[in-house]
Amino acid sequence: MAIHERSLVEPERILRKERLVIDGVDVSGDWNLIILPRTIEDYDLSFYDEVIAQPEGKTIVNCYQCSYCTASCPVHNYWDERYNPRHFIYLARLGLIDELQKRADVMWRCVSCHKCTHRCPKGVLVEEVLKAILRVMAKRGLIEEYPSKKFDKFFMDTVYEYGRIEDGELLFGWIEKQGYKVVKDPILKKPIPFMGGVPEWLKQLAAKPIKNMNIGFLLLNAKHMLFHPRTKNWNRFKQVLRKVMEEEGVFTH
Amino acid sequence: MAIALQLRKPPMGGIGKRVAYYPGCSLEGAARAYDVSTRIVAKELGLELDYLEDYNCCGAMETKNVTFWGTMLLNARNMSLARKQGHSVIVAPCNGCSFSLQRAEYFLETDKKVFERVNELLKEGGVDPLDEIPHTYHILEWFYHEAGPERVKERTKKPLKGLKVANYYGCLYTRPHFYARTYSHTGGQDEEARPRKRDTADDDEHPYYMEALLEAAGATSVEFEPMHTQCCGGPHSLSDEQVSEKFVMMILQTAKRNGADIIATECPLCHASLEMYRHRLMMKGVPDVDVPAAYFTQLLGIAFGYSAGDVKLKDNLSDPIPVLRRLGLV
Repeated sequence: MAIHERSLVEPERILRKERLVIDGVDVSGDWNLIILPRTIEDYDLSFYDEVIAQPEGKTIVNCYQCSYCTASCPVHNYWDERYNPRHFIYLARLGLIDELQKRADVMWRCVSCHKCTHRCPKGVLVEEVLKAILRVMAKRGLIEEYPSKKFDKFFMDTVYEYGRIEDGELLFGWIEKQGYKVVKDPILKKPIPFMGGVPEWLKQLAAKPIKNMNIGFLLLNAKHMLFHPRTKNWNRFKQVLRKVMEEEGVFTH
Repeated sequence: MAIALQLRKPPMGGIGKRVAYYPGCSLEGAARAYDVSTRIVAKELGLELDYLEDYNCCGAMETKNVTFWGTMLLNARNMSLARKQGHSVIVAPCNGCSFSLQRAEYFLETDKKVFERVNELLKEGGVDPLDEIPHTYHILEWFYHEAGPERVKERTKKPLKGLKVANYYGCLYTRPHFYARTYSHTGGQDEEARPRKRDTADDDEHPYYMEALLEAAGATSVEFEPMHTQCCGGPHSLSDEQVSEKFVMMILQTAKRNGADIIATECPLCHASLEMYRHRLMMKGVPDVDVPAAYFTQLLGIAFGYSAGDVKLKDNLSDPIPVLRRLGLV
């Protein structure tokens, strides 16, 4: 017997017998597969309220569980079946927090392609709702630090500091955070791309403009690495940004 | 299946020949080739870009996961700068930037509370509050409707004959319809469900503006659906390498196996992601991934008679020059 959306059921709850005889009657065939029941003890409805309270999370109320989002999702289709936007919304609405927590290892994998939001027939901003759910989970300590959250924070810090980002700094800063050894020059403390334990592919890519004698490109990027591009009059605006983020409880700089 | 020729919208105009140009951080650093070639193409098509002075980062796809109000503020500041320069239209060449600005536009327009609060905060930060919310267009939409394929054909001096192009649009150019304001050009029941649709916006599932412009310049488009709007890993390019690698592999292999010589891109993030993972996949020995990528403006620039140096083809880490040289284009 086929199980619809099998990835939603834990493997240990599926019982399958080659031959099954009950009360002397052989019921092998269609009836030899059983899903063990589970006990749900508590629904935490305050979780749902917290999701709705966020400006992006409001539209979760419109969802009628048609699963168009899941059908469109490239992460679900090409990477991991357990990533299932429809199911996450369902769990968040019921307040089944421990069920959500079981999927914490895949929940951050959304690549923000917005196919789900675009195709939703009820106008749910699915991608944003999922991010709102993730944020509430993080606030309650239900989910550990995950790579994309670290990167988001790192990105936000750069924007907060300078008003603009710089590709080289972002790339090498992130590589360093990943645990690779990045060699920096002693005076300005800027990374040198070709030295240290930087991954081989990145060394080769960084060497390409040098091989091509692409001097203009090298000079421009060297200039940006030395003098980080900044927005003028940023300091005053920065204070407002800080105030807003502190209100939301996300300021960590 | 791409959308039929006779169903394509004619250029409508109405956006304005002179607009505020929001290049975004990437275009002034690693993706300067896109910036330079965009300016060249705009000049050739008789359009004017007014550089947005002293802009700040739009927040891309990252800051919106951290703070809602912070992201609104970042974009509202840019909008306010555009208003100060006297514009009601902003054009952004990056999918991420246009998405962020359009997202802010959506929340400012639909939620009065957001609009009022953002204005207060802008005043506090020493920026003029918004009197009107400027509309943001992707540069491709602007090129198509203000210049159009006819104009491109007129200006073409060196047609891109024999060049087979896979047009890669990326995610956020057409999606989601709330922000990008796209709709189905073939009609159907979908139309009522798109309250914010904009007539000039591209078709939502089968975009064709880039295709139309490059075909007018003499190139041939290869069948590339559905990978033309498949995600390249986007904001997870660095933080989730396995997923990004698989997505890029699918995109590159589809392009190669459909006979493309080159992938035309329109977003510096997608472009960087494609080039970076192309290199890594080739190092691993994955078959059929050696298609180079170039910005569509670079290809148009070449068709308009500019040299490879003018459009900075050397900046592309995936080396499109050998392919173009084989066809005698550079």
